[in-house]
Amino acid sequence: MDCIRLEYDVDGENFASAGNASESVKRTLKQLGIPPASVRRVAIAMYEGEINMVIHAHGGKAVAEIYPDRIDITLKDTGPGIADIGLAMKAGWSTASENIRSLGFGAGMGLPNMKKYSDEMDIDSVVGVGTTVFLRIRF
Amino acid sequence: MKVSEFAQKSGYTLFCTGEDRTIESGYCGDFLSNIISRAPENCCWLTVMNNVNVAAVATLIDCACILLCEGTAPDAAFAARAKQLGLWVLGAQENVFEAAKKVAALCSV
Repeated sequence: MDCIRLEYDVDGENFASAGNASESVKRTLKQLGIPPASVRRVAIAMYEGEINMVIHAHGGKAVAEIYPDRIDITLKDTGPGIADIGLAMKAGWSTASENIRSLGFGAGMGLPNMKKYSDEMDIDSVVGVGTTVFLRIRF
Repeated sequence: MKVSEFAQKSGYTLFCTGEDRTIESGYCGDFLSNIISRAPENCCWLTVMNNVNVAAVATLIDCACILLCEGTAPDAAFAARAKQLGLWVLGAQENVFEAAKKVAALCSV
């Protein structure tokens, strides 16, 4: 099936540009007439993933594939990986530094929010190699 | 109440102007993950955070305006991004609680 494919380089540790990919996808979905509630879910889930890549993984690649009935988002980084995914999924648990917390992040809500706002979520992570997060959100 | 009218009636400092939405509610918070998952669309978002990520989050949640409290002012990167994104950014000297009371009273929310 044909889809609209959008690719982004997420610049690691550049908080000034963090959110650019999510904003771009959100804008595209709005232009396509996707229901606002779905657009918001996509924006939240993708922004959390994007921020995680900036905070924890020195950036990476974000790919969004928009189909008539859904969006598939793949966030791939070559960061340190997640040692314990179960723990990372726990609301309130975070390894973010004090500096990151002072910017308003590190509440331990990133992965839980991604799970909450997506219909399907899959995390593939290898310590020392990187992490790939797949999100599917149906409209 | 439209943000422009709120800005005028509140007397708050005007840092940036943008799309003139109607303020339908308020939300107070500084943890950005809480904001993006819980703040309602077209709210007045009250915060003391003043970094560029506030602008990105405000866009994602489609808030009506950002109200920086306790004398907080946007830094240069934040102001530039807010201008680029067409966001209303106001500033209050009061703390978040007092500013929220004013938002509630003026906007009847």
